Amino acid sequence: MLPKLFINGAVCLTGDAAPEDFAPFMDVRKLRRAEPISKNVLWCAFKALEQAQLKDTSSANLGISLAMGAGALESTLKFMDSIVQDGDELSSPTAFASSVHNSTALFLSMLLGIHGPCVVTGQLDASFAAALLTAQQFLAKNMCEQVLVAITEDVNPLLAEQLQKDPQIFAPFIYQPSLPPTRLAGALAVSDKPTAATQFVLDTVSLSNTSDLQTQSTPWVTTCSCAHSAALLDSYLRKKEPFVLREQFAGTILEIAGEPYVQP
Amino acid sequence: MTLSDKVSVAGMGCLCACGNTPEQAFDGALSGEALFTLPTGRVESTYATKYPVFLVSQAVCKDKPADQTLSQFFFIKASRQAFAQAGILPNQLEPKRVGVIIGASVHPSLHCFEIYKHWRKKELTALDTAGLKNYLATPLAQWVSRYFGFEGPFQTVATACASGTDAIGLAKNWIETGLCDAVLCGGTDEIAESPYDGFIRLLVATTERCRPFCKTRSGINIGEGAAALLLVNSQTAEKFKLSCQGYVLGYGNCCDGFHPTAPDPTAIGLQKALRFALADSGKTADDMAFVNAHGTASQANDSAESVAFKTILPNVPVWGSKGVTGHTLGAAGAIEAVLALQALNTHTLPATVGFTTTDDALQLVPTTSQQTISKRFAVSDSLAFGGCNAAVVLGAKDAA
Repeated sequence: MLPKLFINGAVCLTGDAAPEDFAPFMDVRKLRRAEPISKNVLWCAFKALEQAQLKDTSSANLGISLAMGAGALESTLKFMDSIVQDGDELSSPTAFASSVHNSTALFLSMLLGIHGPCVVTGQLDASFAAALLTAQQFLAKNMCEQVLVAITEDVNPLLAEQLQKDPQIFAPFIYQPSLPPTRLAGALAVSDKPTAATQFVLDTVSLSNTSDLQTQSTPWVTTCSCAHSAALLDSYLRKKEPFVLREQFAGTILEIAGEPYVQP
Repeated sequence: MTLSDKVSVAGMGCLCACGNTPEQAFDGALSGEALFTLPTGRVESTYATKYPVFLVSQAVCKDKPADQTLSQFFFIKASRQAFAQAGILPNQLEPKRVGVIIGASVHPSLHCFEIYKHWRKKELTALDTAGLKNYLATPLAQWVSRYFGFEGPFQTVATACASGTDAIGLAKNWIETGLCDAVLCGGTDEIAESPYDGFIRLLVATTERCRPFCKTRSGINIGEGAAALLLVNSQTAEKFKLSCQGYVLGYGNCCDGFHPTAPDPTAIGLQKALRFALADSGKTADDMAFVNAHGTASQANDSAESVAFKTILPNVPVWGSKGVTGHTLGAAGAIEAVLALQALNTHTLPATVGFTTTDDALQLVPTTSQQTISKRFAVSDSLAFGGCNAAVVLGAKDAA
């Protein structure tokens, strides 16, 4: 049986975290080589884990379930740029290493001291839902006691240009024609049992691939990136009311139902 | 719970440089024959030094439909083999209860290199735009799910080189926790410009054929291919009288957070992943006929694995198969799981192709000749960039 998910911390970020935002949590100098996509989700993780009262993450039994819609787009492009500009013999190994999805997982694991199960999901808009399912699986199989569900999305000028022409395409970032594309990130600390920090409980988390959009009283919401999904969930949590979130994008159906958790 | 209640492998499919079916690939693992050549026509390389790779045969690749990537095409071919072996058509399964989990590394990344080059020169064609839109419309696992008419959950695992093992382990858990009756899982990857250049520039690729765990090992060769496994619960196996090719009994995963591209030399994360997989399976190291190692033939990988094996799997024979498949990245764990099941089911453990000289620093000698095995269980592990480690415990078809 799949467990309920108790949300003990939830934070979303629009835009980039500034170096001073990290000062309460760590030595900022350790971030000097980090990509924004990793720094943003790290800041969200610090805040979510703080809410979850998990300050000493290295001794906590934590896992990581990371969602990245299209991976580290900036590093991917940097690496391809380096091949085009400098030739393959001088292409950047650092950009290649940073372009791998796992580089962000490593960043979280290393700086938070997490040594538990870790899976990265890379499937466009449906990444967040699958990351929640993975967290549920980690907990159901007792692979850890809590899971950091982390979501982070990058900007990309090629996609921004295409988005101008076709607003329906997948875009991991916030795009407004008059403004530069904006990154999004988020983090949830979840467990399968309530803790003193539990704020919400999710009864239903489901992801399916169906054209059967059953119309019920709750309207469908259309999203276009996994970070948007996380931000949407965060907005529901902030209302502190029971909710049913039903999203669809290109046949992907995500349903999350939850309610505020009342501490005994 | 008896083994017959466990998650079984109803069918499996595989194509890689040493064969285009599980049987052919295993024969290649025994004979050492594989397509190891320069990726001419696939990758534009200006290197004076030549870096060969392990390729799927051109005879197979030429049938790829224009609207599919090689990663998609490989996985569909492997999946068809899996369904055929299982003895069921995809549309006979209850669509809402069938999940799809696929590990990959190239497909989930925006490595649209030709499109990007055109865009940089402001020469984006209508074909480029259509290709990009197609890529962005449907992620890999969802595309496969729709291809076969399934409506259950889907997941594209992008944990780099551990993705294939993670996909199999997560699929097992999806069934055990009641999320699905059946899961089509595995991994797929293709030779592409970015990983080809990237591994060369990280100085871990070699110009020679790789030599896992050998004193003279000089690095990795990347490869391509796919493997698909149809995992089912016992009720589904019984209801449809499906074939049984083995069992997926345990899954473990642990990150070590050590370095962007190298494993922790103490292998703490890998040890924990192996320990968890064994505990999850209810088996011990003594039950294992062998471990199919990640065995990339990089200095750091083989060293870390030797530390973990000495501690967690002492006296368990170590088999490295990348000397015939190459390092197929996101597909590696899945291809190796299929080869491991073939080994268990034929009672035959191949030699580690490429290994010639013992490395005293490793204190590990992999299989040096073909052996007959009687134990009915095996472990397969994977290590990935970013310190992600995963392992699965497999059972032979007659292990029940």
